[in-house]
Amino acid sequence: MNIANQPLLKLENITKRFKELTAVNGINLAVASGEKLVIIGPSGSGKSTLLRSINLLEEIDEGTIRFEGREVGYVLHNGRRQQDRPQAISALRAEIGMVFQHFHLFPHMTVLGNVMEGPLTVQRKPADEARSIATDMLAKVGLSDKRDVFPATLSGGQKQRVAIARAVAMRPKMMLFDEPTSALDPELVGEVFDTIHTLADEGMTMIIVTHHMGFARELADRVIFMESGNFLAEGTPEELFGAAQDNERIRGFLNRLL
Amino acid sequence: MKYPCGRVFVTLLFLWALAGTCFGAADYDLLFRHSSDLMAQGDLDGALALLKQVPTPAASEDASAFVSSRMQAGRIYASQNATDKAIAACQEVLKLFPDNSEARNFVAALRDQLKPRWHTILSDILRFLPVLAKGALMTLLLVFCTMLVSPLGGLLIALGRISRVRPVSGLCWFIIWFFRGTPLLLQLFFIYYGLPSLGITLSPFLSAVIGLGLNYSAYLGEIIRGAIQSIEHGQMEAAKAIGMSYGQAMRRIIIPQTYKRLMPPVGNEFIALIKDTALVSTIAMVELMRAADQMFNTYFNITALVLAAAIYLVLTTIFTFIFEKIEYRAGIYEHR
Ligand SMILES: Nc1ncnc2c1ncn2[C@@H]1O[C@H](COP(=O)(O)OP(=O)(O)O)[C@@H](O)[C@H]1O
Ligand SMILES: [Mg+2]
Repeated sequence: MNIANQPLLKLENITKRFKELTAVNGINLAVASGEKLVIIGPSGSGKSTLLRSINLLEEIDEGTIRFEGREVGYVLHNGRRQQDRPQAISALRAEIGMVFQHFHLFPHMTVLGNVMEGPLTVQRKPADEARSIATDMLAKVGLSDKRDVFPATLSGGQKQRVAIARAVAMRPKMMLFDEPTSALDPELVGEVFDTIHTLADEGMTMIIVTHHMGFARELADRVIFMESGNFLAEGTPEELFGAAQDNERIRGFLNRLL
Repeated sequence: MKYPCGRVFVTLLFLWALAGTCFGAADYDLLFRHSSDLMAQGDLDGALALLKQVPTPAASEDASAFVSSRMQAGRIYASQNATDKAIAACQEVLKLFPDNSEARNFVAALRDQLKPRWHTILSDILRFLPVLAKGALMTLLLVFCTMLVSPLGGLLIALGRISRVRPVSGLCWFIIWFFRGTPLLLQLFFIYYGLPSLGITLSPFLSAVIGLGLNYSAYLGEIIRGAIQSIEHGQMEAAKAIGMSYGQAMRRIIIPQTYKRLMPPVGNEFIALIKDTALVSTIAMVELMRAADQMFNTYFNITALVLAAAIYLVLTTIFTFIFEKIEYRAGIYEHR
């Protein structure tokens, strides 16, 4: 295989079960470098579980994850598949940024402290360097004036932009967004989308789970519709959201979103 | 009249005694017996009247009856709260025998009673305070040592309890189970009196610090574990998502967020600790409680105990105040 054509992320037969429930059911997916992929689908269809499996927050039951061509997260030990060493797992997570629905900012650190934390503690950069990276990131998400306040005083939209800055400060090769605007008041959604858009324009590879079709249409190279742990359909935004869509389930879901 | 026969009898005896004095053959034994009988019947004035009949002796005469009679009169006056008259009776004795120690001590005690009450209490306080202060210093030393040891022990026990390594979590479970499930007094006895039979002899101070330290580590361990597990799960996930190891996430993200939640219960524990140090008085440590007990047993003076209670209250109040301040500081990110 030509190295240039090699996908950044390749999932093969990913399966995750919670007791009897199969949350992710044998998913195959390749994400090219620079690609913007949007995943939509009803609640409980396994979107979060899939994203969490990618950066190893969930331990999958079957399948392989390849990042930049190498198999990551799991090793064979005496013929049995088990999780890789904690250091290797942390190293992969450092290369994949994740943004959560509920932000999960560190409440005991200032905004600047939150954004500095990765470079400082994980990458062990000197404090000055970490601070200057964080300052740049805050400028990028338009929150330079909030650097010294604690997260408790921010609006939801501002919190999510700080969370994005925190992830991007690690200079990841890929970003995962799990419903980044679902916890926000409608009038705050735009500022977060703008921030994600800026990042997309810089060429960041990203997988975004969202219910906002307008945003998906505008940003996505490819949209995947997920249901009950399976990919039901995939295509360009035009193919999925357009008049040509003949799958009744997908039409029904999209109509309910509108 | 309740005791008519007694009255008649006593009056007869009285006349007989009078007669005896008239005849010059004074039978003082009878007079004393007689006056005791009157006292027993509650007729204190009658008893006093009898006692006064014992005359001031001449220089050559035996004075013992005189001394006894005046001292007895003094005691009767004192029991009636007639302190002035009691002192006067004693001074009759002192006029003849200035060195009589019984009379002198009695006068001193009576004069003490005449002084205002606060004066007595103040002098008691001044007498006890240096001893109790020394005891309080030892109590504080014990408290500080335990406050240094037990949060570290508690953190280790808490992290051990959450650990997925079975032997570690089992051991920490056992430590908590044992030290929370048995009386601190028993643990102290075991360390101080029991360990020597295993060849380990510890000083009282070391035994006390080890006993209090282990006990409080166990309690704080459970409190810290609860606080760690009360931190929203998303915090650990967010920390891991930027590539932190478990240790880094604990140290940088989770544990710092527990401080505010820890302060109220830990403050409670440390205030309980101030009072629990009283238990080490049983293993030959002289701290505040033991010092107060010694003062009380020496002087039979309740002021020693009241003073000790006051010192404990001062200590607990100061600690409460400090912990409220620390709690506020620890949660400052929620106030801004
Ligand atoms: N930790 C878990 N334990 C048990 N079941 C879970 C867990 N996480 C998710 N699930 C279940 O897996 C399914 C997929 O969940 P999720 O991936 O969160 O869906 P989505 O993000 O698409 O709404 C749901 O039925 C959910 O209840
Ligand atoms: Mg979800």
